Amino acid sequence: LELQLQTRESDAGRRGLRSGLLGLGGAVAGVALRPVAAGIDVGRRAERELREAVLTRAEAAALAAFDALLVSRLADEIVDRALASPLARRAVERALAGPLVEAIEQLLADGVLDQTVARVLEGPELERVVESALDSAAMERLVVRVIESSLLEEAVERLLQTDELWLMVDEIARSPAVAEAIQRQSLGFADEVAGGMRSRSRRIDDRLESGARRVFRRKPRVPPAPEGSGG
Amino acid sequence: MIDVAAPEYEGLATRAIAFALDAAIISGVAVVVGAAAGISLSVLSVPSGVEAAVFAAAGAVCLLWSTAYFVTFWCTTGQTPGNRVLGIRVCRADDGQPLRPARALLRLIALTLAAIPLFAGFLPILVDDRRRGVHDMIAGTVVVGSPDDIDHVVGDAPAAGPPGRPLRR
Repeated sequence: LELQLQTRESDAGRRGLRSGLLGLGGAVAGVALRPVAAGIDVGRRAERELREAVLTRAEAAALAAFDALLVSRLADEIVDRALASPLARRAVERALAGPLVEAIEQLLADGVLDQTVARVLEGPELERVVESALDSAAMERLVVRVIESSLLEEAVERLLQTDELWLMVDEIARSPAVAEAIQRQSLGFADEVAGGMRSRSRRIDDRLESGARRVFRRKPRVPPAPEGSGG
Repeated sequence: MIDVAAPEYEGLATRAIAFALDAAIISGVAVVVGAAAGISLSVLSVPSGVEAAVFAAAGAVCLLWSTAYFVTFWCTTGQTPGNRVLGIRVCRADDGQPLRPARALLRLIALTLAAIPLFAGFLPILVDDRRRGVHDMIAGTVVVGSPDDIDHVVGDAPAAGPPGRPLRR
């Protein structure tokens, strides 16, 4: 039994010694490998930054090239030729003959478009967009430029030359709503004039009366008190 | 206690303006009708005796028109168009009701009589506590502010009593 106990103690001592040696080795290895790990991190970071820089430059270059393409005559020429080519016509014909139209019809029949429009109109997003557009200085500048330009004058002149406008004006002038509004306005003005006449005539009444009472040496007239006023 | 607004008796200037408006309406209608009748007669060859009779009849119609104008309005709403513009109303002094035809006719006759001595019959309006002229005293009437007068609504003057409410004797 003693022999067995001694054997167990010696095994435990060996295991503790081994684990201590392993921990010491790990700590030494960690300290030794720390510069290596830092070097790897630096390398990764540099690679990431380089990649982002390259991508940003590439995007900017692509956009600049696209802008240059859009403003160039070449783009106009390409679009004109593409539209004039039979390819465009065939593409449109195929698109119209294909399932696209049916899909759009199905969407319309399902009321998806109505719902979308209603959602957009009723939602706060449209209001926010409109408000921000109206509040923006760019919109103000745009409106000022439109008003100051000759475009507006030309548009008004053209509008005044159209017969439809005058037909519409005649229709509006003959409408019962407008006639009623004019009548109401006239009555309001007449009431206003009559009201002014009343107040002035009553002031004259009081002056005439006080003058006459002074001449006849009578006491000023006491306006009748409200009935049942409690005294 | 219930606070009932006292009637506001109307003065000489207000009543004179209202009467002038009524006179303008009566005269305008008479002139238009008389002109139409005169033009119609001018194309007809009317003997001179008949012409005089026509003029007499026109005068009688004009008198009848004036009388009917005042009596009708005083007996119905108590307001002639002129009174309506000025926001005043003729009513019986005892109970505030519109006049009966006999009383309206009496008031009109008394009004004419009051105007004859250089309008002296209207001077009591200036000194009477209820602003009555001779014709009002004879017919037992008063002239008060109309309840729907806008000046009363905005508080410029106290509101008149509604029709039917007894007025101060």
